[in-house]
Amino acid sequence: MTMRERLSALWRTLAWSWDPRGEREAGEAIVRNLWLHWFPAKVARVSASWSYSAWLGAIAAILFLILNVTGLLLMFFYVPSTEKAYGSMKDLDYAVTLGWLLRNQHRWAAHGMVAVAFLHMARVFFTGAYRGPRALNWLVGLALLLTTLLCSFTGYLLPWDQLALWAVTVGTNIAREAPLAGEFIRYVLLGGTQIGQNALLRFYVLHVFFIPLAIWALFAYHMWRVRKDGGLAAIEPLRLNRQMQPKQMPATKSYSLWGLARGTSAAVRSSTELEESDQVFASPSVTRRLVLVVLVVLNVTILISVFFNAPLEEAANPALTPNPAKAPWYFLWLQELVASTTIPIGSIRISGGLIGGIIVPGVLLAAAALWPWLDRSSPAAEGVWFARERRWQNATFATVLVLIVALIMIGIFVRGPYWRLYWPGTPWPPTPRTL
Amino acid sequence: MNTTRRWVLSLMGRGAVALAFLIQIGAAARAFLPNVLYEPLKRFKLKRPDQYAEGFTFDPDHRLFVVRNQDNFHAISAVCTHLGCTVQWRETQFACPCHGSRFRPDGIVIGGPAPRPLPWYDVSLSPDGFIEVDTETQVERGFNFTLPKAKA
Repeated sequence: MTMRERLSALWRTLAWSWDPRGEREAGEAIVRNLWLHWFPAKVARVSASWSYSAWLGAIAAILFLILNVTGLLLMFFYVPSTEKAYGSMKDLDYAVTLGWLLRNQHRWAAHGMVAVAFLHMARVFFTGAYRGPRALNWLVGLALLLTTLLCSFTGYLLPWDQLALWAVTVGTNIAREAPLAGEFIRYVLLGGTQIGQNALLRFYVLHVFFIPLAIWALFAYHMWRVRKDGGLAAIEPLRLNRQMQPKQMPATKSYSLWGLARGTSAAVRSSTELEESDQVFASPSVTRRLVLVVLVVLNVTILISVFFNAPLEEAANPALTPNPAKAPWYFLWLQELVASTTIPIGSIRISGGLIGGIIVPGVLLAAAALWPWLDRSSPAAEGVWFARERRWQNATFATVLVLIVALIMIGIFVRGPYWRLYWPGTPWPPTPRTL
Repeated sequence: MNTTRRWVLSLMGRGAVALAFLIQIGAAARAFLPNVLYEPLKRFKLKRPDQYAEGFTFDPDHRLFVVRNQDNFHAISAVCTHLGCTVQWRETQFACPCHGSRFRPDGIVIGGPAPRPLPWYDVSLSPDGFIEVDTETQVERGFNFTLPKAKA
């Protein structure tokens, strides 16, 4: 054996068995690989297609991975103290070589993850991919969306700039509006009654450990469920149309005697129940695309980070709220809602913090969570983009989506000082910079 | 139900495990309710009365306005009752930069999402002659602290 063969053999033993020389090796490339074994050896061709899923879930996961790596590195430079946090930001931007790149990449990957997670959710809805056993994974997905938003929220608090301070102020005051336990929730979140060191430290630990841990756990379960559900819902039309002949049951009691199956016999079958011709080997059909997606996502985040700096406002100043004070884009629709949903009932006024900040998002979330059980469309509408049968459902979802985007656009482009409406281009009146 | 010895022992075993975890979780969670808060005092001294100009003076450290009308003083919170941003005084009204709430000079809501008027705080004169505000004691709108004649 040459040295090269020896090294190759060693590498295969340790982790990798890559270029397959036959079907068996192609399968083993996945099954016996440390990193890839959570993929099936064979996948449906439609599952891996660009046009069905756009790989949005994978992109979100890759962004999360980038966030983990850049985040861990940023922890070496960041001090979670109300006095030093803002200074660490300035150090990263001006004193640490390429520190700005790390920070920018972390921030833009976070924005990207929120956006892509939303898009992924929209894809799953528009393809009707949340039905049957996949309903559970839809719920896991909603939990992932929430934890992603929580991670973003706790993340942009850490620089302790004006955005951070007023986000904690508004965020924890929305929590205070929660019925009965509100005051207590705020006390626990802040570690006191006022925003200070306790609050920053709590949000820091949540951001760097507990929420990412939750995302990892949910992500692992999300992927496991995809496999248990037989792959993406794109395979359902195939299953439906193929009218597969039931396989002959082996006439043996062995499986039940061994405790592997109930009843008298077990049919050994492909987990996806697909014809051979509909399937491809995960290696290289999925792995090659995955590498390509990783490459594109990584390069895009780097490019964006080179050309655009992550936002950093002035140092936190409790005396002066920025005018206007705007949340990051993905919370701007909520800001519009809390600003406009205070309702007078008799002599009392129900705060927009409760209605727009808790009740409306809660109702939207509950509707999304219950949707798989409200959807009464036929199996033919499953795993298909914009199925005609589900047009009213898709229209409803699209309407909510458009409303949210419209509110975000109003927040970005039309809101000016004191949260008044100014058309883009109209000058804002001067407002005091100090008081 | 057949209450066998095995059933009772098994129940006790599971109960003991559950209880051990619950106590551990409870003990750990309790630490997150601080017993001591190192927060700014709720009752504090500000400037001397004669250092205040007529009208509204913002106090950035305590996020409130001290309002002077000759010998009469009152203090009104600058924290928006909607979601806690700092309101600004704009000649005739208070306005909030976060969600657009507006308040009359006496704190009554005139627009935007704020659910309640801005609270008024108790004002007094400290023995050594400073304006003293107690944010834990809210007072009626229209409250006035009048300087004692000798001091004025």
